[in-house]
Amino acid sequence: MRYADFTAHDLLLLLQGLGVSLALFAATTAIGLAIGLVWAALRYYRVPLLAALAALLAELLKNSPVLVQLFLVFFGLPVLLETDLTPVQAALITLSGNTAAFVYVIAVSAIEAVGRDQLETARVFGLSRWQTLRRIVAPQAAAFALGPLAGLLVNQLQVTSLISVIGVVDLTKVGAILNLRTLKPFIVWTVIGLLYYLAARLIAGACARLETRLRAHREWKGL
Amino acid sequence: MQFDLTSLVPYFGDLAAGARLTALACALALAGSLVLGVLVALMRTAASPLARRAAGVYVDVFRNVPFIVQLFFLFYGLPEVGIELSAFATGVLALSLAGGAFTSDTIRAGILAIEPGVLEAAQVSGLSRFALYRRIVLPIALRSAVRPLGSVFVNLILTSSILSAITLNELTGSAKIVAADTFQPFEVYALLLLLYAVLTWLVSLSAGALHRRLNREQI
Repeated sequence: MRYADFTAHDLLLLLQGLGVSLALFAATTAIGLAIGLVWAALRYYRVPLLAALAALLAELLKNSPVLVQLFLVFFGLPVLLETDLTPVQAALITLSGNTAAFVYVIAVSAIEAVGRDQLETARVFGLSRWQTLRRIVAPQAAAFALGPLAGLLVNQLQVTSLISVIGVVDLTKVGAILNLRTLKPFIVWTVIGLLYYLAARLIAGACARLETRLRAHREWKGL
Repeated sequence: MQFDLTSLVPYFGDLAAGARLTALACALALAGSLVLGVLVALMRTAASPLARRAAGVYVDVFRNVPFIVQLFFLFYGLPEVGIELSAFATGVLALSLAGGAFTSDTIRAGILAIEPGVLEAAQVSGLSRFALYRRIVLPIALRSAVRPLGSVFVNLILTSSILSAITLNELTGSAKIVAADTFQPFEVYALLLLLYAVLTWLVSLSAGALHRRLNREQI
């Protein structure tokens, strides 16, 4: 007998899928931010070869479909290296790399948005390159980067939906399972879409609040 | 560990067929999202608050819901209400709907960048509403939106790979078959990644060139 009705257990399944999606999003964002910032630092310190390599890799990751990157890592890498990768590991690697590429681009343009005269002034005052980065470039660049970063995060949340294709049971996969069982595509996909929408809204709202705080020093506070 | 591309040569025909399908889907979706984007952008800059609200909801929803969810909604949902489309038609429809939301953003920015004086002058000269849109608003807005539209199109090409999830054998879908046939997934997908990167790079290059050409009097 086929059980085609919605049950209370489905709610649990949905929450579990949402949890998996959000956890992978959080983990890959953290890893991607770290890697992307390291790449940007390579460029800031003008490390020969490595800086060019980071730029090329970021360009390649930025200009190819995440789905293909996912297939390359999940199906291709184990064959090449003769190892095994679980779907979750493959998802972690791919999404972190993809996020890193976009973080790199945002970080580079944010660093370049800080006026060159400030760097020269800092050097005249005898600050080392690290001190300049830490005290002068980073605080301003962070405020510049937050807007584009918010857009990136909302986008990356949606990109996590692709990992359902390689078998990670995330929110989209839960939707596919429920869709197959109940054959009520309208209800199922509307609920899934709504959950993604709410999560995206939450992320955008949090970023907007953080941005107003970082930019607070620029605003006229009144006398 | 080995990297051998020569054994893939017999499969280049299959990949080319997939690439043709991708190109066709993207071209149709580009046309669809341009039409939709222009309409929605005009609604979002209209005087009527109702039109602005409706267009805003459309853009908000399609930008904040993952494309694969929209695709499944249409692919499984449309037959439910009696609309039977092929996988290809569903894919083009989904791409156009999602692309329309992003396109409307860039065209809206182009419309808002028009100097109010130009529009007032046109209204004073007694141009009809249609003539105003056709002769003044759209030429200026579209011309200044070419480069951002190029990056929307690049995104469209990248997004079209997701159509392989609804059994459409476009470039990514046919590569999946080739990878299964040759047992060389790494080579196939690495090649595919490069192909997409070169393709999108060419698109953004030509969009940049077109932008410079159309805007040459402005500089």
